[in-house]
Parts: sequence; structure tokens; C-alpha cells
Amino acid sequence: MKPVKYTLRVNYLKDLVNSIVELDEQKSFELAKRILEETRDPKVVFEAVRQAAEIIGEKYEKGEFFVADLIMAGEIMKTISGLARQKLKELGEARKIIGKLLIGTVEGDVHDIGKNIVVSMAEAVGFEVIDLGVDVPPSKFVEAVKEHNPDILGLSGLLTTAIDSMKKTVDELKKAGLRSKVKVIIGGGRVDQYACEYVGADAWSNDAAEGVKIMLKWMEEKAK
Amino acid sequence: MSSTSFDHLSKWIERHEREPELVAKEKLDRIIRITELKTPDRVPLLAPSGDFMLNQTGLTWYDLSYELTDKVKKAVSKFALEYPGDFAIFFVPYLLEGFILAAAFSDFPDFSNSIRFISGLLHDVLRDKWSRWPGRELRVDQHPQFIGGEFMKPEEYSKLVEDPVGFIHGTILPRACSGLGSPGTPQWNGAWIRAGFAVQRAMGFMMETLMQLKGYPATPLTNAYVPADIIGDFLRHPTGAILDIRRHPDEFKAACDALLEPVLKVATAIPPIPPLTMFFIPLHLNEMLPPKLYNEFYWPYLKKIIETLVGKGYKGFVFFEGDHTPHVDTLLELPKGWGIAWFERPRDFVKSVWGKLKGHTTVAGGISPMLFYQSPEKVEEYVKNLLQEIKPEGGFMIAPGVSELPKDANPASVKAFINAVLKYGVY
Repeated sequence: MKPVKYTLRVNYLKDLVNSIVELDEQKSFELAKRILEETRDPKVVFEAVRQAAEIIGEKYEKGEFFVADLIMAGEIMKTISGLARQKLKELGEARKIIGKLLIGTVEGDVHDIGKNIVVSMAEAVGFEVIDLGVDVPPSKFVEAVKEHNPDILGLSGLLTTAIDSMKKTVDELKKAGLRSKVKVIIGGGRVDQYACEYVGADAWSNDAAEGVKIMLKWMEEKAK
Repeated sequence: MSSTSFDHLSKWIERHEREPELVAKEKLDRIIRITELKTPDRVPLLAPSGDFMLNQTGLTWYDLSYELTDKVKKAVSKFALEYPGDFAIFFVPYLLEGFILAAAFSDFPDFSNSIRFISGLLHDVLRDKWSRWPGRELRVDQHPQFIGGEFMKPEEYSKLVEDPVGFIHGTILPRACSGLGSPGTPQWNGAWIRAGFAVQRAMGFMMETLMQLKGYPATPLTNAYVPADIIGDFLRHPTGAILDIRRHPDEFKAACDALLEPVLKVATAIPPIPPLTMFFIPLHLNEMLPPKLYNEFYWPYLKKIIETLVGKGYKGFVFFEGDHTPHVDTLLELPKGWGIAWFERPRDFVKSVWGKLKGHTTVAGGISPMLFYQSPEKVEEYVKNLLQEIKPEGGFMIAPGVSELPKDANPASVKAFINAVLKYGVY
């Protein structure tokens, strides 16, 4: 029986990855539910989410996927990883955390569409996410870095002024002697390479999936 | 770089003071020429503003939003002279998106365009949840922010479709604007009278400020909006609108159809006055949508609005937010010379925007606001190279991706930008 079950699982995994990438909300939901009922293995769902996030990130990078697609994908991932977490809880287990992300929209900016997609996707792929919300002053980021000791700090913002707040936040981090303790990634509609250098961040991204991909890579490097 | 390197800029500033009418006329001619896809005497440039302006003038965002005083007027005039452009967008007092209000009053051509934006003064009356203002919800030094929100459930599309204006008045405005209370109550009626005063004060001050700028032409401007953006910005939040497109496509489309009429009523409330009356449309959901969805839920409506208004004698001034590159080709479906397309941050401006549109659409853009963190020499070099590639044709305005430059943009680099355009932009 064992090999059969194994094949079944692989197909489930592939089917679920495909249905997420196709942004088929209904199908993904039903498949995830079936997987959890039949295999009682939430790891399959988490793995599907991780693989899908990677494919979606690549597609966005190639210009095949758009923000609207990321929002839909984020919704699907949030829903089905929620189902998987619930199952895990029923089984009395906890999910392995791959890294800790502290994130927020920087001071002076209250836009959070992009940040929320990152939160959904990062949680779905296995990050523990501490979301400080919007309009977060540099001092609050610094305190939170001290308190939570995250692997990664994500600074988000849409306005042009956000770039200045990002820089201020990184500067405060340096002053507190914490800069070398975290990787910093900035994200938002108006960030680019110029902004990244100006801010003193380690990476930048205009899209959530690519951002999550970068963060996953950092965690892999750290684990080595 | 020594200050003498800004010779071209100094001379132009001096002419603004000496012969403001002539300078204003030259600017207007340049804009008219480019909208006709012809070569003007020099590539026109879009003036900087935003946080950079505040940093240079010492004003706060609160001042710019609420202080309708001579101090503000003078500071803005001084800045407009020191960092001049051929085309300028100065919101004094500052304004945020408010097209839903224009749509709500689309049957009132005498003031529908005046209530198209939300000022701080109007926000104080309406207490709308779409916008946040310095000295109110935000600190005095924080940029006013449009945040939108969700004020309609997906189940309510049918009501919106049935009677868009009535639904906005009866359902959306009471939900989104706590200052209005319930329709028909004394509070509701009184609030609208106060709103009228607020609009008049804000618009009056803006007119006064713009009239006293030296060397700037006054061009009539009307307003339009893409139906999908009305839904995303004011009714369902962009995230909700994006999910609705996939979850409730038919309802979403029907709502877009229903909103077209009020949009066109607002736009045509100001008649097209020769030689140039432009209609302004800022796009928001555009870059977020994949081509398949853009071509079905967004572009047909934008196209219809542009074609209708161009047919009536207006020219477009459309701001393509974000990276519009994937949808650029659709613009070629429009009549040649339909207006100015201003691009915020396309992936490859020269190749994928200018290369495709030159000779068909007037293009504005080419400068990342982040460039102003670079040295004046680098800025000059960049402008020189860009103009070398673009200048043989007409129909181009050099512009930062957004007119609002960051606070600590290097003043010398901003001057180097203007100076370089004056120096290398002559045809």
C-alpha cells in the first residue's frame, strides 16, 4: 500500500501547486481540504504553498504575473495554509518555523496592500511574521528588532517620502548597533536600486513573491 | 559643479521676472506643439514639487493643506521661480483623490469639477475615511494620504448598477463620511452647505496662488476617471476590486458600464476651450492587472472615455501609474495625437514606451525621482543622453515619474536637471 500512497501524495502536491499557480481559488480550496482529510499530512499543503510561491515569484519576475495575480495568490495561500495550520493543531503538532520576519509600513505612510501580500505569502511559506502595521516610526522598528530578534526586517512603503523613512529606520538600526544582526529588505511601488543604495538595505523588490523568494534564499544561506 | 554651470537656468529665471507674459506664452506654445506631436523650440519639462518643495520653502504639509495665507502663496511662488518648469502641478492647498464626489454631483456641471478633489478643508467637513490629513489624523509634517477603503459589499453591485449616483448618495457617502450624518437630516443638509464653502475657499485660494506665479500659463483642465478605479479607490479598496474581478466578473463589468455616464458628464461639464483644454485621468489599478484582465475590465472603458472626449475637442493628460509597459501597445488603438501620456516608472522608458509611441502619442516621463539623489554631474549626463536618444522627434515632455520629488533630493541636482533640459533640449 505504501508506494501507492506515496504516488497519490505526489500527485496531490503537483495538483495543488498547479491550482494555486493557475489562481483557481475554488479548486485549491477543495484540493487542500481533500489532501488534509485523506493524507492527514499538513506538510503536503505547506510544501505546495512553498513551491507555488517560488513559481509565482519567477512568473512575476518574467512579467507573466501581475500584482492582481499576487493578491489572488496571497488570498489562496492564506486560506489553505490556514486550513493546514488548523489540521496541525488538531494533530497536536506545531509547524517548523524557517525564519522570523519583522515587517511594517514605514513612518509617514499608511499604504499596506503590498505589505499584506508579503505577510500572507511569508506566513504561508513558513516564516513567523511579526507585523507592526502601518506608519511605524524608526524607534518602534528598533525596539521590535531588540525584542523579537528577527532574521529579516521588511520595510514597506508606497509614497516617495517612504524612502526617507526607510533610510531613517536603517540609520537608527545602525546607531543601535543592530544593523549587522538583521537582513533588511525594502519593498514598495517606488523603490528601486537607487533607493536601495540610498537607504542602505540589503535588497529591494517591487513584488511580494520575489521578495519572499529573496528571503527564502537568505534563510537557506543562513542555515548552511 | 560650480554655480556658473547653471547659466541656462539663471537666464530662464531672470526672464520669468523680466517678461513673464512672454515666458508663459512660450511655455503654452511648447505644450500645444507637443500635443500636436510636433517639435517645439525646446523639449518642455515638468516642474518638481512635493516634499522637496516643502523642504526648500520651510513649509509643512499642514501649512500646504490648511494655511491659506500669503506666507504660503509667497513661498510657493518663490519655489516655482527658483525651480521652474514648462508645465506645473501645484496643489495649493494640497488635494487628494475625490472623484467619487464629482461623480455624485455629475448632474451639476457648475461645480462637479470643483469637488473632484478632496482638500483638507473639505475633509474637515465631510470627515471622510478615504483621506488622512496632517494636523488631523497625521502629524503636521506628514504627507496627506489617500488610503481609500471598503465601503461597499460585493453583494451590493446590483444596487450600484441600478442607480450609481443614487447609490453613492444614499449608501456610500453616509458610510464613508461621518460628518454628513444621514441623508435628509439637518446635519446632512448643513454639512453640504459647509462643504460648498470649503470647496470655494480652497479653489479660490488655488486660483489666486496660480494667477500670481510669474511666467506660468493658465490652461483649462477637466477631469475623468476610469470606472474600475472608482470601484477600487472609493468603494471596494483595490484589493477588494481585484478579487471581485475574478470572483464577480459580470457584476464588476456591469458596474463599470453604469459608471461611464457620470464620468463623462463630469468631464464634459467644462467645455473644450481652444487652443487647449485637457482632461486629467490618473490611473491606479492599471499596472496591477495582467493584460487579460486589463483588456477586459479596464482598457475598454479608458479607451471609450478618451475617444469620446478627444472627439469633442479635448486632449488627454493621463497619468499611467507604476509600470504600464505591459499595456503600452493598447494606446496605439487611440486616435493619433489624442494627448499626453505620463509614465511613472516603466521598465525601459526609451525602448518600450518612447520607441512604441513616438509619432502617435505625446509622451511625458523619463526621469526617476530617485535620480535626484545622484550628483549634479550624473544628472546632467543622464539628461543629455536621454535627450540625445529622444529629441529627433517631437511630442515629448521630460518629466520625473511623479512631480513630487523626495524631501532630501539634492537641490543642486534638481537645478542640474532643469539646466540640462534647457541646454540640451533645444531642437
